[in-house]
Amino acid sequence: MIEGIVFWLCGGLMLLGGIMTVVSRSAVGAAIWLIFAFLNAAGLFALLSAPFLAVLQVLVYAGAIMVLFLFVIMMLHGPVLGAELRPQGRWVWPAVALPAASLLISGAILLGGGGGGGFRAAAPAGFGRAERVAALLLDRYLLAFELISVVLLVAIVGAVALGLAPRRQS
Amino acid sequence: VTIGLTHYLALAGAIFVTGLVGVLTRRNTLILFMCIELMLSAANLVFAAFSRQWGDASGHVFVLMSFAVAAAEAAIGLAILVEIHRLRRTVNVDDLKTLME
Repeated sequence: MIEGIVFWLCGGLMLLGGIMTVVSRSAVGAAIWLIFAFLNAAGLFALLSAPFLAVLQVLVYAGAIMVLFLFVIMMLHGPVLGAELRPQGRWVWPAVALPAASLLISGAILLGGGGGGGFRAAAPAGFGRAERVAALLLDRYLLAFELISVVLLVAIVGAVALGLAPRRQS
Repeated sequence: VTIGLTHYLALAGAIFVTGLVGVLTRRNTLILFMCIELMLSAANLVFAAFSRQWGDASGHVFVLMSFAVAAAEAAIGLAILVEIHRLRRTVNVDDLKTLME
Protein backbone atom coordinates (compact mmCIF):
# COMPACT_ATOMS: atom_id res chain seq x y z
CA MET A 1 0.00 0.00 0.00
CA ILE A 2 2.64 2.49 1.11
CA GLU A 3 4.79 1.26 -1.79
CA GLY A 4 2.02 2.13 -4.23
CA ILE A 5 1.65 5.63 -2.79
CA VAL A 6 5.40 6.30 -2.99
CA PHE A 7 5.57 4.88 -6.52
CA TRP A 8 2.76 7.04 -7.88
CA LEU A 9 4.08 10.12 -6.04
CA CYS A 10 7.72 9.79 -7.13
CA GLY A 11 6.81 8.46 -10.57
CA GLY A 12 4.24 11.16 -11.23
CA LEU A 13 6.54 13.91 -10.02
CA MET A 14 9.43 12.54 -12.10
CA LEU A 15 7.23 12.52 -15.20
CA LEU A 16 6.08 16.05 -14.35
CA GLY A 17 9.71 17.13 -14.02
CA GLY A 18 10.53 15.59 -17.39
CA ILE A 19 7.58 17.24 -19.11
CA MET A 20 8.41 20.62 -17.58
CA THR A 21 12.02 20.18 -18.74
CA VAL A 22 10.79 19.70 -22.29
CA VAL A 23 8.33 22.62 -22.33
CA SER A 24 10.30 25.04 -20.14
CA ARG A 25 10.85 28.45 -21.73
CA SER A 26 14.33 29.03 -20.31
CA ALA A 27 17.38 26.78 -20.07
CA VAL A 28 17.78 27.48 -16.34
CA GLY A 29 14.18 26.48 -15.72
CA ALA A 30 14.67 23.27 -17.70
CA ALA A 31 17.78 22.43 -15.65
CA ILE A 32 15.98 23.01 -12.33
CA TRP A 33 13.06 20.84 -13.43
CA LEU A 34 15.47 18.14 -14.54
CA ILE A 35 17.13 18.17 -11.11
CA PHE A 36 13.64 17.76 -9.63
CA ALA A 37 13.03 14.76 -11.92
CA PHE A 38 16.36 13.19 -10.93
CA LEU A 39 15.62 13.58 -7.22
CA ASN A 40 12.36 11.72 -7.76
CA ALA A 41 14.25 9.06 -9.71
CA ALA A 42 16.40 8.63 -6.60
CA GLY A 43 13.20 8.01 -4.65
CA LEU A 44 12.19 5.35 -7.18
CA PHE A 45 15.62 3.69 -6.88
CA ALA A 46 15.19 3.58 -3.11
CA LEU A 47 11.77 2.01 -3.61
CA LEU A 48 13.39 -0.62 -5.87
CA SER A 49 15.66 -1.74 -3.00
CA ALA A 50 18.64 0.04 -4.56
CA PRO A 51 19.79 2.46 -1.83
CA PHE A 52 23.31 2.72 -3.28
CA LEU A 53 21.95 3.79 -6.67
CA ALA A 54 19.61 6.25 -4.96
CA VAL A 55 22.52 7.96 -3.22
CA LEU A 56 24.61 7.97 -6.41
CA GLN A 57 21.69 9.36 -8.40
CA VAL A 58 21.59 12.37 -6.08
CA LEU A 59 25.38 12.76 -5.91
CA VAL A 60 26.28 12.19 -9.56
CA TYR A 61 23.19 13.26 -11.50
CA ALA A 62 21.47 15.88 -9.40
CA GLY A 63 24.82 16.98 -8.02
CA ALA A 64 27.73 16.79 -10.43
CA ILE A 65 26.12 16.59 -13.87
CA MET A 66 23.40 19.17 -13.29
CA VAL A 67 25.83 21.57 -11.61
CA LEU A 68 27.96 21.27 -14.75
CA PHE A 69 24.88 22.06 -16.86
CA LEU A 70 24.00 25.09 -14.73
CA PHE A 71 27.62 26.24 -14.84
CA VAL A 72 27.64 26.14 -18.66
CA ILE A 73 24.22 27.83 -18.82
CA MET A 74 25.52 30.67 -16.67
CA MET A 75 28.67 30.89 -18.81
CA LEU A 76 26.74 31.11 -22.09
CA HIS A 77 24.77 34.12 -20.96
CA GLY A 78 22.79 36.16 -23.39
CA PRO A 79 20.25 35.52 -26.11
CA VAL A 80 21.44 31.97 -26.82
CA LEU A 81 19.33 30.85 -23.89
CA GLY A 82 16.18 32.41 -25.33
CA ALA A 83 13.26 30.08 -25.54
CA GLU A 84 12.25 28.75 -28.91
CA LEU A 85 9.15 26.67 -28.43
CA ARG A 86 8.42 26.58 -32.11
CA PRO A 87 8.32 22.94 -33.17
CA GLN A 88 9.77 22.20 -36.57
CA GLY A 89 7.04 21.23 -39.03
CA ARG A 90 8.68 17.97 -40.01
CA TRP A 91 8.78 16.65 -36.43
CA VAL A 92 5.36 17.69 -35.15
CA TRP A 93 3.66 14.43 -36.10
CA PRO A 94 6.06 12.10 -34.32
CA ALA A 95 6.09 14.48 -31.35
CA VAL A 96 2.33 14.06 -31.06
CA ALA A 97 2.05 10.43 -32.11
CA LEU A 98 4.81 8.99 -29.89
CA PRO A 99 3.38 10.07 -26.51
CA ALA A 100 -0.11 9.08 -27.63
CA ALA A 101 1.08 5.61 -28.67
CA SER A 102 3.11 5.19 -25.47
CA LEU A 103 0.15 6.24 -23.32
CA LEU A 104 -2.20 3.93 -25.23
CA ILE A 105 0.05 0.88 -24.96
CA SER A 106 0.92 1.32 -21.26
CA GLY A 107 -2.67 2.15 -20.40
CA ALA A 108 -3.97 -0.92 -22.24
CA ILE A 109 -1.48 -3.21 -20.48
CA LEU A 110 -2.05 -1.76 -17.01
CA LEU A 111 -5.85 -1.58 -17.32
CA GLY A 112 -5.91 -5.02 -18.89
CA GLY A 113 -4.77 -6.43 -15.57
CA GLY A 114 -1.13 -6.94 -16.56
CA GLY A 115 1.52 -6.62 -13.88
CA GLY A 116 -0.85 -6.59 -10.96
CA GLY A 117 0.97 -9.19 -8.95
CA GLY A 118 3.96 -7.18 -7.85
CA PHE A 119 7.50 -8.43 -8.21
CA ARG A 120 8.43 -12.09 -8.56
CA ALA A 121 9.86 -12.43 -5.07
CA ALA A 122 10.81 -10.28 -2.13
CA ALA A 123 14.25 -8.70 -2.45
CA PRO A 124 16.98 -10.73 -0.71
CA ALA A 125 18.34 -9.27 2.52
CA GLY A 126 20.90 -6.54 1.89
CA PHE A 127 19.95 -6.39 -1.82
CA GLY A 128 21.32 -3.34 -3.60
CA ARG A 129 23.52 -2.16 -0.77
CA ALA A 130 26.96 -0.79 -1.57
CA GLU A 131 28.88 -3.89 -0.51
CA ARG A 132 26.76 -6.19 -2.69
CA VAL A 133 27.19 -3.98 -5.74
CA ALA A 134 30.90 -3.56 -5.02
CA ALA A 135 31.36 -7.32 -4.73
CA LEU A 136 29.93 -7.73 -8.24
CA LEU A 137 31.76 -4.70 -9.60
CA LEU A 138 35.18 -5.86 -8.41
CA ASP A 139 34.70 -9.49 -9.29
CA ARG A 140 32.49 -10.43 -12.21
CA TYR A 141 32.52 -6.99 -13.86
CA LEU A 142 36.12 -6.05 -13.08
CA LEU A 143 37.07 -5.55 -16.74
CA ALA A 144 34.07 -3.30 -17.38
CA PHE A 145 34.93 -1.37 -14.22
CA GLU A 146 38.50 -0.77 -15.40
CA LEU A 147 37.33 0.18 -18.90
CA ILE A 148 34.80 2.68 -17.60
CA SER A 149 37.56 4.35 -15.61
CA VAL A 150 39.55 4.65 -18.83
CA VAL A 151 36.48 6.22 -20.47
CA LEU A 152 36.28 8.77 -17.67
CA LEU A 153 40.00 9.51 -17.95
CA VAL A 154 39.70 10.06 -21.70
CA ALA A 155 36.69 12.31 -21.09
CA ILE A 156 38.66 14.40 -18.58
CA VAL A 157 41.60 14.75 -20.97
CA GLY A 158 39.25 15.57 -23.85
CA ALA A 159 37.36 18.20 -21.89
CA VAL A 160 40.61 19.86 -20.77
CA ALA A 161 41.99 19.75 -24.33
CA LEU A 162 38.80 21.35 -25.68
CA GLY A 163 38.91 23.99 -22.98
CA LEU A 164 42.56 24.80 -23.68
CA ALA A 165 42.19 24.87 -27.48
CA PRO A 166 44.07 27.86 -28.88
CA ARG A 167 42.03 30.69 -30.33
CA ARG A 168 42.14 29.67 -33.97
CA GLN A 169 40.60 32.72 -35.62
CA SER A 170 41.33 35.56 -33.25
CA VAL B 1 -2.91 -3.08 -7.15
CA THR B 2 0.57 -4.16 -6.06
CA ILE B 3 3.29 -2.26 -7.85
CA GLY B 4 5.23 -4.57 -10.14
CA LEU B 5 7.67 -4.60 -13.00
CA THR B 6 5.02 -3.53 -15.50
CA HIS B 7 4.37 -0.26 -13.67
CA TYR B 8 8.04 0.64 -13.74
CA LEU B 9 8.29 -0.26 -17.43
CA ALA B 10 5.26 1.90 -18.26
CA LEU B 11 6.68 4.82 -16.26
CA ALA B 12 10.13 4.47 -17.83
CA GLY B 13 8.54 4.30 -21.28
CA ALA B 14 6.60 7.49 -20.62
CA ILE B 15 9.73 9.28 -19.39
CA PHE B 16 11.77 8.04 -22.35
CA VAL B 17 9.13 9.28 -24.78
CA THR B 18 9.07 12.64 -22.99
CA GLY B 19 12.81 12.97 -23.57
CA LEU B 20 12.44 11.85 -27.18
CA VAL B 21 9.76 14.45 -27.84
CA GLY B 22 12.08 17.05 -26.33
CA VAL B 23 14.87 16.03 -28.68
CA LEU B 24 12.49 16.22 -31.65
CA THR B 25 10.95 19.60 -30.83
CA ARG B 26 13.52 21.72 -28.99
CA ARG B 27 16.24 23.53 -30.90
CA ASN B 28 18.45 24.65 -28.01
CA THR B 29 21.42 22.28 -27.75
CA LEU B 30 21.58 22.63 -23.97
CA ILE B 31 17.99 21.46 -23.62
CA LEU B 32 18.65 18.67 -26.14
CA PHE B 33 21.41 17.43 -23.82
CA MET B 34 19.04 17.55 -20.87
CA CYS B 35 16.46 15.51 -22.79
CA ILE B 36 19.13 12.92 -23.58
CA GLU B 37 19.94 12.72 -19.85
CA LEU B 38 16.24 12.18 -19.22
CA MET B 39 16.18 9.26 -21.68
CA LEU B 40 19.26 7.75 -20.03
CA SER B 41 17.54 8.06 -16.68
CA ALA B 42 14.52 6.15 -17.99
CA ALA B 43 16.85 3.36 -19.13
CA ASN B 44 18.46 3.29 -15.68
CA LEU B 45 15.04 2.87 -14.13
CA VAL B 46 14.38 -0.16 -16.34
CA PHE B 47 17.73 -1.69 -15.32
CA ALA B 48 16.95 -1.24 -11.63
CA ALA B 49 13.42 -2.60 -12.03
CA PHE B 50 14.59 -5.77 -13.81
CA SER B 51 17.32 -6.15 -11.23
CA ARG B 52 14.68 -6.08 -8.51
CA GLN B 53 12.48 -8.50 -10.45
CA TRP B 54 15.16 -11.18 -10.72
CA GLY B 55 16.91 -10.47 -7.42
CA ASP B 56 20.22 -10.03 -9.24
CA ALA B 57 22.30 -6.92 -8.56
CA SER B 58 23.99 -7.02 -11.99
CA GLY B 59 21.53 -4.41 -13.19
CA HIS B 60 22.88 -2.05 -10.56
CA VAL B 61 26.35 -2.44 -12.03
CA PHE B 62 25.00 -1.54 -15.46
CA VAL B 63 23.36 1.56 -13.98
CA LEU B 64 26.74 2.55 -12.53
CA MET B 65 28.28 2.21 -16.01
CA SER B 66 25.47 4.33 -17.39
CA PHE B 67 26.18 7.00 -14.75
CA ALA B 68 29.83 7.10 -15.78
CA VAL B 69 28.97 7.29 -19.48
CA ALA B 70 26.42 10.05 -18.82
CA ALA B 71 29.00 12.02 -16.86
CA ALA B 72 31.59 11.65 -19.62
CA GLU B 73 29.01 12.57 -22.26
CA ALA B 74 27.93 15.68 -20.35
CA ALA B 75 31.52 16.82 -19.78
CA ILE B 76 32.62 16.37 -23.41
CA GLY B 77 29.35 17.58 -24.89
CA LEU B 78 29.28 20.74 -22.83
CA ALA B 79 32.96 21.44 -23.58
CA ILE B 80 32.21 21.14 -27.31
CA LEU B 81 29.15 23.35 -26.81
CA VAL B 82 31.20 26.07 -25.13
CA GLU B 83 33.69 25.94 -28.00
CA ILE B 84 30.90 26.13 -30.62
CA HIS B 85 29.40 29.09 -28.81
CA ARG B 86 32.79 30.79 -28.76
CA LEU B 87 33.20 30.34 -32.53
CA ARG B 88 29.65 30.72 -33.83
CA ARG B 89 27.81 32.67 -31.12
CA THR B 90 24.89 30.26 -31.22
CA VAL B 91 23.75 27.00 -29.66
CA ASN B 92 20.71 26.58 -31.89
CA VAL B 93 20.94 23.30 -33.78
CA ASP B 94 19.25 24.85 -36.83
CA ASP B 95 22.18 27.23 -37.20
CA LEU B 96 24.77 24.44 -37.04
CA LYS B 97 24.24 22.94 -40.49
CA THR B 98 27.71 23.35 -41.98
CA LEU B 99 28.09 19.63 -42.57
CA MET B 100 24.75 19.48 -44.40
CA GLU B 101 25.49 22.24 -46.87
